[in-house]
Amino acid sequence: MTTRTTAPPPLTVTDVTVRFAGLTALDAVSFTVTPGSVHALIGPNGAGKSTCFNVLSGLCRPATGTVRLGDADLTRLAPHRIAALGVARTFQNIVTTRGTVADNLLLGRHALSRAGFTASALRLPHARREQREQLARACEAAELTGLGPHFDSPVALLSYGDRKRVEFARALCLEPSVLLLDEPVAGMNAAERARTVEVVQAVRAELGLSVVLVEHDMGLVMRLADEVTVLDFGRVIAHGTPDEVRRDPEVLRAYLGTGAETEDAA
Amino acid sequence: MSERLSRARAVRLGWTFAAVTVLCALPFYLDAFWLRIGLFSMAAAVGAVGLGLLTGTAGQLSLGHAFFLAVGAYGYVWLAGEPGPGLPTAVAAVLAVLLAGAAGGLFSPVAGRVRGIYLGVATLALVFLGHHVLLTADSVTGGFNGRSVPPLEVGGFSFSSDSDLTLLGVPFGAEERLWYLGLALFAVTWFTACGLLRGRPGRALVALRDSETAAAVMGVDVSRYRSAAFVVSSMYAGLAGVMLALAFRRVVPDYFGLVLSVDYLAMIVIGGLGSVAGATAGAVFVTALPLLMTRYADQLPLVAAPGTTDGAVGPTEAARYLYGAAIVLTLLFAPDGLHGLVRRLRARLRHRLTAPPPADTASPSQPPTSAVRAKEPTP
Repeated sequence: MTTRTTAPPPLTVTDVTVRFAGLTALDAVSFTVTPGSVHALIGPNGAGKSTCFNVLSGLCRPATGTVRLGDADLTRLAPHRIAALGVARTFQNIVTTRGTVADNLLLGRHALSRAGFTASALRLPHARREQREQLARACEAAELTGLGPHFDSPVALLSYGDRKRVEFARALCLEPSVLLLDEPVAGMNAAERARTVEVVQAVRAELGLSVVLVEHDMGLVMRLADEVTVLDFGRVIAHGTPDEVRRDPEVLRAYLGTGAETEDAA
Repeated sequence: MSERLSRARAVRLGWTFAAVTVLCALPFYLDAFWLRIGLFSMAAAVGAVGLGLLTGTAGQLSLGHAFFLAVGAYGYVWLAGEPGPGLPTAVAAVLAVLLAGAAGGLFSPVAGRVRGIYLGVATLALVFLGHHVLLTADSVTGGFNGRSVPPLEVGGFSFSSDSDLTLLGVPFGAEERLWYLGLALFAVTWFTACGLLRGRPGRALVALRDSETAAAVMGVDVSRYRSAAFVVSSMYAGLAGVMLALAFRRVVPDYFGLVLSVDYLAMIVIGGLGSVAGATAGAVFVTALPLLMTRYADQLPLVAAPGTTDGAVGPTEAARYLYGAAIVLTLLFAPDGLHGLVRRLRARLRHRLTAPPPADTASPSQPPTSAVRAKEPTP
């Protein structure tokens, strides 16, 4: 992993509205992800968090509104172009391909490698060299996320937590400037959660990337996030630092319940 | 680690060398019947590798493979023959492969939009369309009776029985010569297909099969790769078509029907989806078995001698029954195909050889984290 010399561009979401057959999934949602920060999106189930991720990664086109990464407009771009601009994501339900961890991580290097059909079929020297280099990069990502011992194992044989980690490492392989993590610790035990938090903090410190986080684990959100945006029924109901959001009466009513419960979740 | 890797590599090189030596020596010992089985198998293997890439690796069901085989076969015959431009045969062969690729490219807008079983039905249309054109475009295809295939000539060497050639006391006719041509083309197919599958395009195609969403988010241009899979697969089919035309020496429309497409699907399923070796094994199985059974059926009990009609099962029917039974048995006992069967047998053999110390460090079946994972309520 190479450390970025320049700070990643800010990710700006302006007035994004998404409708599914009459249902308004996102209603004029706006927020800005400050370069290098961890920005959490929270809200009850069905609040539109995953839809928001789908808009950011180009899987879902908003009816109105824009998404910009620095100067680039992501709103009408195809998902693979957004990936090439340095926006990587993981999925709430794990989506890996068959094959080994190495295969999955090399897929993450797709946008950063060039070898096409002809070069690969004829095994031209530059394609083979590129393959070796990409393998080394993928190996680094595996080490960084603690997948090193499983590098050549088939993904199907890994535990749930490890498979979540494969997705995470695969997203890192894209060398993103913005990393979208959809419930990175769901279904993990305490040790695995702690490990994931460490890794997120490590990559943020080392690679200087921005992280957008969707997570139900409030303790983790409060510990990791610099800023929190709270969604409810597709609308932004609060925004601020974790402490501000925690005290916001609207948030407490809509989502967190009472303050005591918040502490418990941690 | 690297020592073990290089040893595995040396072993593989040794096996490859042995296989190539045996395959090259066969024409000196086998008669034309066996060589012809080999030719058809090699041609089918090339075609099956192509379909395996499309259906097995990229997950796009195609029932139109026969169409692309026909484009290759008829393309070669027309380009090299009379009526037709009458090009040098080697040039015609290369152009026929490119023509098949272009045909796949023309179909790719459809392939980019339609998925799964719907794509299968869309490709089905190609077979009927192709068959109709082959029957009616007399001036190009020769109509119902087809056309004879001009023998391939490379640098003055003809792959036919026209000129006498004797090597080590063995007369080299068309079969013997074509055998080496087939081997060379099959080697090229194996080399390129393995390169593709292990390289960046192969991983992108696998990602398309397993999840188009994940592939797109990882930066794979989904529609481009879907079309490319079609083009590459059609080029292999075109090459197989040329090889089949050369082996048959006559192309007829009825050969390139839906049954042929289904045969190719059977090849990749029997062999094991997603691997070059599997497609090859399946191709040999599906091609050679019916021919062998027809040839030796009269030696089986309850089978009448050819030509007699005394109520017993004729050799051709018996061959069909046995062939069908073989397919069912293979699918029952090797659901992941011949390739998977071989892999499991090899793993078991290796396990038995290394049985005394049962500690298998390479086995990832027990990830350490699973031992400590406890059930925990999600907040």
